[in-house]
Amino acid sequence: MAHILLRHREIPRINEIDIYEKNGGFKAFKQAVKNMEPTEVTAVVKDSSLRGRGGAGFPTGMKWSFIDNNSWPHYVVANADESEPGAFKDRELIESNPFQFLEGMAISSYAVGANIAYIYIRGEFWELTATLDEKIAEMEKLGYLGNKLFGSDYSLKIYTHLGAGAYICGEETALLESLEGKRGLPRVRPPFPPSFGLYGKPTVVNNVETFANVPLIIDKGADWFKSIGTPDSAGVKIFSLSGRIRKPGNYELPFGTTFRELIYEHGGGIIEGRPVKAIMAAGASSSMILVDDKVLDTPIDYASVRKLGADLGSASVIVIDDTVSIDWVINKTLNFFEHESCGKCTPCREGTYWMQHLSQSIHAGNKRKQDVDLLYNVAKQMQNKCLCALGEFATMAVVTGIERFPQDFNLEVRE
Amino acid sequence: MLKELGRGLITTFKMLLESPVTIQYPEEKRPVRPRFRGRHVLKRYDNGLEKCIGCSLCAAACPADAIFVESAENTDEERYAPGERYASTYEINMLRCIFCGFCEDACPTEAIVLGANYELTFTNRRDAIYTKDSLLEAVPSPELLTPQKVEPGEYTRSIPEMEDPKL
Amino acid sequence: MTKQVTLTIDGIQIDVPDETLVVDAAKKAGIDIPVFCYHPKMEPVGMCRMCLVEIGRPMINRSTGQPVLNEDGQPTMQFMPKPETACTNLVSEGMVVLTQSESAKEAQKDIIEFLLTSHPLDCPICDKGGECPLQNLTMEHGPGKSRFLFDGKFKMEKQIRLGELIVLDRERCIICARCVRFQEEVAGQAVLAIDDRGRGSEIISVSEPGFDSVFSGNTTDICPVGALTTTDFRFGARPWELLSAASICGQCPVGCNITFNTRREAKSAGKVVIKRVMPRQNEQVNETWICDKGRFAYHYAKSKERLSKPLLRKDDKLKTTSWSSATKLVAEKLGEAGKDTIVLASGRLSNEDLFNLKSLADGLGGKAVLYTEMGGGDLVTQIGVGQGTNFSDMGQGDAIFVIASDLYEEAPIWWLRVKQAADRGAKLIVANSRETKLDKFANFVVRYSNGDEVKTVQDLGGTGKIAQAFSKADNAIVLFGSDGLGLEGSTHLATACANLLEETGHIGKANNGLIGVWPKANDQGAWELGFHPEPDLAAILKGKAVYIVGADPANDNPALAKALKKAKFVVVQDLFRTATAELADVILPAQTYTERDGTFTSGERRAQRFYAAVPGLGESKPDYAITSEIAEKLNIQLEGTSSVLVFEKLAASVKDFAGLSYAKLAEVTEQWPIVGRGDLYYGGSTYENTQGLGVQLVSASDRGETVSIPKVRNDAGLRPKKDELLAVPITKLYDRGTTVAPTEFLTERIGDVTIALHPEAAKKLGVEAGKRVKISFEDVEGEAVVKIDETISAGVALVPRSMGLAIREPVVIKVQ
Repeated sequence: MAHILLRHREIPRINEIDIYEKNGGFKAFKQAVKNMEPTEVTAVVKDSSLRGRGGAGFPTGMKWSFIDNNSWPHYVVANADESEPGAFKDRELIESNPFQFLEGMAISSYAVGANIAYIYIRGEFWELTATLDEKIAEMEKLGYLGNKLFGSDYSLKIYTHLGAGAYICGEETALLESLEGKRGLPRVRPPFPPSFGLYGKPTVVNNVETFANVPLIIDKGADWFKSIGTPDSAGVKIFSLSGRIRKPGNYELPFGTTFRELIYEHGGGIIEGRPVKAIMAAGASSSMILVDDKVLDTPIDYASVRKLGADLGSASVIVIDDTVSIDWVINKTLNFFEHESCGKCTPCREGTYWMQHLSQSIHAGNKRKQDVDLLYNVAKQMQNKCLCALGEFATMAVVTGIERFPQDFNLEVRE
Repeated sequence: MLKELGRGLITTFKMLLESPVTIQYPEEKRPVRPRFRGRHVLKRYDNGLEKCIGCSLCAAACPADAIFVESAENTDEERYAPGERYASTYEINMLRCIFCGFCEDACPTEAIVLGANYELTFTNRRDAIYTKDSLLEAVPSPELLTPQKVEPGEYTRSIPEMEDPKL
Repeated sequence: MTKQVTLTIDGIQIDVPDETLVVDAAKKAGIDIPVFCYHPKMEPVGMCRMCLVEIGRPMINRSTGQPVLNEDGQPTMQFMPKPETACTNLVSEGMVVLTQSESAKEAQKDIIEFLLTSHPLDCPICDKGGECPLQNLTMEHGPGKSRFLFDGKFKMEKQIRLGELIVLDRERCIICARCVRFQEEVAGQAVLAIDDRGRGSEIISVSEPGFDSVFSGNTTDICPVGALTTTDFRFGARPWELLSAASICGQCPVGCNITFNTRREAKSAGKVVIKRVMPRQNEQVNETWICDKGRFAYHYAKSKERLSKPLLRKDDKLKTTSWSSATKLVAEKLGEAGKDTIVLASGRLSNEDLFNLKSLADGLGGKAVLYTEMGGGDLVTQIGVGQGTNFSDMGQGDAIFVIASDLYEEAPIWWLRVKQAADRGAKLIVANSRETKLDKFANFVVRYSNGDEVKTVQDLGGTGKIAQAFSKADNAIVLFGSDGLGLEGSTHLATACANLLEETGHIGKANNGLIGVWPKANDQGAWELGFHPEPDLAAILKGKAVYIVGADPANDNPALAKALKKAKFVVVQDLFRTATAELADVILPAQTYTERDGTFTSGERRAQRFYAAVPGLGESKPDYAITSEIAEKLNIQLEGTSSVLVFEKLAASVKDFAGLSYAKLAEVTEQWPIVGRGDLYYGGSTYENTQGLGVQLVSASDRGETVSIPKVRNDAGLRPKKDELLAVPITKLYDRGTTVAPTEFLTERIGDVTIALHPEAAKKLGVEAGKRVKISFEDVEGEAVVKIDETISAGVALVPRSMGLAIREPVVIKVQ
């Protein structure tokens, strides 16, 4: 099947606006603004059962429909703060097929009635942002952004905003705080962004890949979208494959593809042909999946991965073979989370520091049962108490790693 | 009857030959046991700095309200104890003290200890209030006296670094 | 009408208004949910996660909107899988909260354990020990054993001086951000911030000089650990070793309720001394806050320079004498003078002292003169704010007009409360001849030229947006001061304000009326008791017997020093041997308000009691007792044995004090939020008020009597003429006054005496900021450092009072 998101793989210069236009670009946006009501657009996206691609998998159309129509103005924000270790899909989209994502943002803005949209992009991507600004300017020149688009009353401007190196700013409320110029600390939720978002106004925050799907849905219809993938998860997903794999990279595949296909057919298999030991499906924030044939033959979608005791998240699939010890892996993830914890809430701020400390000592050789037990207990202690998801995710790899791979910690297999 | 009399007299004569257990105090003094609670001593570290950091926990623990503590700030030019705080005034009213040792137990730096001296007399109530100079431990050489002038940044912790519990 | 909601907490059913947070509702039900970052006077943030409880809500059928009932006919409860923070959740109908369940108790224990992993083992050397919320909650909820390896504790900087008043210890900080949020939300001065992130988060001061806020001391009350402590009380004593005495701050007319903590010290040779000042809760006056001047500037009371024995002048030398000889001589001389007696008193004295002085003056047929440079108090007596006035009740629909007063420097807690009223929607109108710190929060800022004060007030009675905002307000309060004015100017201003209030009908009810921002704590009391200032004091002193109490005219004005030399007999009753005392024939040592009981009347006309904290110094006596001793020798019977009796007499003679007694002033009613008690973590270490909330005096307008307000004179105030530099007096919070200067560590904040010039004026004189210049006017000569202020007019210079330059009213000066 031809790529529908990573279209530059078939059409190399689709990041140039005239090539994009020639290949059906902006048709959906024009159609929406000229011939559809905003609520119609939302209904189509809802009907398509598109789920957010940033990690939570929340139904996108439903999120748009939650926007509070008693409070104005509305905003749309694209979360391009791709900082998850193992995720590099949004980067390829922004570099090589930016207009599809920008068009998706535009359609979304029209659907929720926003006249200003922001792209919050991680600070390390300053070069990409410069290019993205040029692309936006090109869109403005050709009348796809600006005042009174396509002869209607609808106006839209898109702005980019650089982050400054904080993983926590990928969390939507921390992102909004950072966008407002304050310290990027998450807010208490409820209230959620569709009722209280940017500057206290209703805001829709979606991932770049989510937006990239929208023009296709409007153009080709919800039923077409639902025909791809599985009943639980419709459409395609870009898998960022990395780890001990021969051909790491982004692979756009429909939901329902099995892990075996992903790793062996597309990824070229494990380096040196070794067996797969574990899969981290959601980057560093994952639970470890203990791999056996059943796992490899599981068709991937949100529900089936959950049945395996993990979350698909952003599909940043890190593949681990038997040369890698799990205690080394969690040492790495804990270093990351300790560095990125924002420090606002006590369990995450103290817990990530404590866990990293313990993990360092375990990895250095102190693999006594009480040390590993303590690490496990501390991780369990942090769960369900943190202000935002970072704290929860910091514990996932630790808890599942110790539970499912006790031999790497010199422990007897736990019940 | 004579048998009993005889038995008693034998015991008496036996005793006559045994050596007395009387200790001729004050020429001889019986050594005290290790945990004997006698006169208080404010201990020092080996480098002469006082262990007492003026925290008043001994005063708080004392059931007889015998201890009075006032604290002040330490500087590196005039250092009495390691860390920020030291006891500028330290008084124990020996007439109130019941020698229970709670102050010793409460002290976080093992500064106040109850020593072996039990020979305490005073002739008026004012003398019963022992001040810091009389309570402080003696130093082996004069340069270890406090206040001391020390290198800045060396003595920043009031409470000594403790070792991890051995398993 | 707010809706009431019923919910069940730990099995106790209560009714609360629907905008209440779960943690507050629990407090009202008598259940203490542990908190660290939550403070009842600030917005909740849910940061510390200590208040995690299990919350269940009734399951609602989406289509019918009705609760789903279970088999018992009760609503089915839906509990969240995770515990939720009680501080961020509002109550809802039928909610069930479990604070003692397995999961809630686990959560509380775990959070304490997390906090203790990085907290240093500082309890023995930390000032907070004994009143530390972290200590208390660890004892209640903590795990009991540590699982953390000690060598892993995160090391940070300790003993950082944030400015000279506050010490920060970063290791102890638990990042609850109460200090940062207090400064931002309550004080409106975001001088603290959090730097870095994660475990390395640290509090920093972002102002120069460090922690540049007069409310900085309050952060040490609300800090739940010993991270923020005061240098004043550093290592002073342990909280359980201190005794407390309720008192009223005597530094400004707000009348904040404070508590003096005292201890008998070996350092002070066995005397009982005041170790620190803590706020006492009075929601109507100062809520739970005090400013830094009130917190730190009490050291004058224990200064070594205090008089302790009466002194008599013999052969031009002052020699110590006995009380009987001293008072005998005074009585003799005052009796001789009779009608030619002048009693000169200031607002530093209590109501009892002033009442006795007035009675003495009346008994002799002499004059009772109030030593002040600010007039208008007799108008405030008539139309002062009504009973029940509370700035906390003002908000949307109300108006507050502040004119000729720099509230931040003159009465900081009023600045705080007015700013908060403006935050709540009250229309704030600030009028001044220069920029002040209140402008930022004002809806309308009126900049007038010096001399146009009366005109500005009269404009407010006209038409125009600002006038409309004032007249149409439901309630309106006018605060007038003497910024840039002297006695005459402020009197005219007060008259104009009184007229404005009468015309717009804003008198005679709560939250309406006139407030004078007096320089001293009890100036209002002096006015109430019949003291009046004398416009030309120097003239009337010649040849009279002058009884000066609590005033230092010789130091303030060389003309008065000269006039005093011409007086027949001078008695000075004061704390220190002032310049005036050096000219006296008899010096009588008085006690400070910390050493005796009494009452003050605040600017809002609230009579409040203060209690003795320490024993009297040497042979000093309370002012009312000295006056009574003298009066007795003149056959005028005045109470002098205790202040209760004096107050009884006072209440019987002064109409507005009718019905008041010490017992009535000592009454307390339950206040919200509940502070003190066992759970210091809730409101901080503010002291609970168990000794009296005070009572507001009823005024003539309250009683519905007709008030007599003179017509205002519309003539020109003092205006700068061309080529002249008019110096106008302003007030500085930290000045060289007797009640502030003896506190040594405030010396930096007091700083050098400055003169503020407009850039043009500075250019004309050829000086720039920081240069030392010589200033001369009338009989005064002095030096000052130049400051540049762009918001004043070019012909005006600002000279602060009580800094060494004896300025009392606008005067033309020469600068070189």
